[in-house]
Amino acid sequence: MDWHLLGWLAVLLYALAEVLSIVALLRPRGWGAAPAALGAALVLQFVDLEVRARALGSVPYRTLAGSMSLFGWMLGVAYLILLARHRERAIGPFLIPFVILFSTVGLLIPFRPSPPRPETQGVLFALHVTLAILGYAAFTLSFVLSLLYLIQSRQIRRARTGVLFSRLPALEVIGRMNRTAVSIGVAALLVSVALGAVWARRVWSGVGDAKLAWAVFTLLLYAFLLWKDRHGWKGQRVAVLSLVGFGLVIFSYTFVNLYFSHAHTFR
Amino acid sequence: MSAPNDAHLLVLGWNFRTAEGAVRERVAFTSDEIKEGLKGLVDRGLVSEGVIVSTCHRSEIYGLSAGESAGEALTRFVSEWRGLDPARLAGAGFHRVGEEAARHLFRVAAGLDSMSLGESEVLGQVRKALLLAREAGATRTVLHRLFEWAVAAGKRVRAETEIGMHPLSIPAIGFELAAKVFDDLSARTILVLGAGETGRLFARHASEAGATDLRIANRTAERAVEAAAAVGGRAVPWGSVAQELGDADVVVGATSSPEAVVRREDVEAAMRRRRGRPMFFLDLAVPRDIESSVAEIYNVFLHGVNDLEEVAEENRRRRAREVPLAEAILEEELHRFLAWFGNLSVVPTVTGLRERIAQMRDAELARAPAADRERLREFADALAARLLHEPMRRLKAETDPSKKLDRVEAIRHLFDLDRE
Repeated sequence: MDWHLLGWLAVLLYALAEVLSIVALLRPRGWGAAPAALGAALVLQFVDLEVRARALGSVPYRTLAGSMSLFGWMLGVAYLILLARHRERAIGPFLIPFVILFSTVGLLIPFRPSPPRPETQGVLFALHVTLAILGYAAFTLSFVLSLLYLIQSRQIRRARTGVLFSRLPALEVIGRMNRTAVSIGVAALLVSVALGAVWARRVWSGVGDAKLAWAVFTLLLYAFLLWKDRHGWKGQRVAVLSLVGFGLVIFSYTFVNLYFSHAHTFR
Repeated sequence: MSAPNDAHLLVLGWNFRTAEGAVRERVAFTSDEIKEGLKGLVDRGLVSEGVIVSTCHRSEIYGLSAGESAGEALTRFVSEWRGLDPARLAGAGFHRVGEEAARHLFRVAAGLDSMSLGESEVLGQVRKALLLAREAGATRTVLHRLFEWAVAAGKRVRAETEIGMHPLSIPAIGFELAAKVFDDLSARTILVLGAGETGRLFARHASEAGATDLRIANRTAERAVEAAAAVGGRAVPWGSVAQELGDADVVVGATSSPEAVVRREDVEAAMRRRRGRPMFFLDLAVPRDIESSVAEIYNVFLHGVNDLEEVAEENRRRRAREVPLAEAILEEELHRFLAWFGNLSVVPTVTGLRERIAQMRDAELARAPAADRERLREFADALAARLLHEPMRRLKAETDPSKKLDRVEAIRHLFDLDRE
């Protein structure tokens, strides 16, 4: 089976889910088939990731391509869970583009299977990477929710009661979803960093790395966000802080990996 | 529209567009008057069926009559009944017949003819009008079906368009905005300042929307107590308003105080006690009750009456944009009604009945031995002709158009002639 074909089919289905969720947003009633398209895309992409893992002989995310695809996939899963939990369909049109973006990048970056190295194998490594990506996916979700928070807040202030105003949930609801997303992100990244430290000590007998420094910095920022959310900053400032945090995540994911880190290059 | 058996739909009406208040007051009917009027109309033979729709904004008499000139007779009847000059009455009203009368009712039921476009109350009023007419024994086949059809069409319009979705009233818009700040508005504390007309209006709206913690403060304490009792809220002392702000999620300013009642430092203190939880202010007072700089405080939302009126204007435009879609739905329903009504004539019914019998005959003949078929067919035709002769003669001879329609409708129903 050609993994490329499956991956692109998944992207196509994500695009369909995006169109359907926009239609569902504009229509006053009815759910449409957006969740079904999203679910089908997630299944296809999972199979694609599985095929890649076999070609690599290890977890698929030790390549940049695989890591991006997994990121997109986890974001999709996170959204499906959110959809099932909160029934807030207004988030979809804004979130699915990120799923499409990361999944497409994951397909466009050349995929060169190389023989697995000892430090990229084992359960500990797999958990370390999966949790890190889950954490970053949760922060991406928080980024989208924060954007929606700011949009909705602006609409309330200006008394603009259009389609988006009526479809987006109340500020408190978006804020609560945001808090959940950040909490999951912080927990996942914290455990991932701890596992990474243990793993690094085992394979390199040392933990110092630029990626680690960024991760700790990112963690501190989101922890500060959660603390402030409970103590008087609930609202716009928390949303803005989440946007800044997402900037850190993107920087960590791209520049730190490519230029600064020794341990976190893809190989 | 074909008028079966010379029966015509008609409507004679006075509404907020055509008639000034003085005339409308005279033709506004109570339930008892409606029944009395309908009985009078039917007894005098002006209409064979009738329904009167009477609301604050309209009084409309729907009827099924034998001739096309029943409108004048109806106007005379109403002018005698209500003691109004017939010329003045006719000048202040409108008159539609046939398809136009049915279309008018459909538009009324869907809220397209309402003063506040797309409002839903009129649907219940149309339904009530039908019930009253039925109690008065004034409806039979046609108007009953017409009104039921109009109500169903009105419901369809509400379900398939956004014509009833965007609120037009100022309290509804204010609370719609607040509901986008707080998750569950009914569980929040709502503080209304001022027990005057506006304050009471907002308090009533909040109470109807399910508010569980509604507090009312007024400079004159008795009025606060009175207003609170009327809407199921709680009166709080005027002196403790600054304290109350700490609990209040939504604050409505509606006093006639010449200076601001809620000052910036009060709100800042309240926000400290609330640990930054958002507050939502609606200021409906002129001059303002709430210092406008309150809006600069973090997590505080403030709207004045102008903001809300702009939204109302925008919502009116949004509803108006739905009118073509609503009209298309109504036309579709109207055509189906008119097709049914047109079929209520004697000729198509007799033809339909003959065809139905011929079908039954052929089905039975197919099972008979081939040699006997010719004789059996002759027998069946003779029997059918004998059987149909007397009922058809009586049907055609009926002079009362309404009775004739009833009978045609009964035949169509019993022999299932409207099956598609």
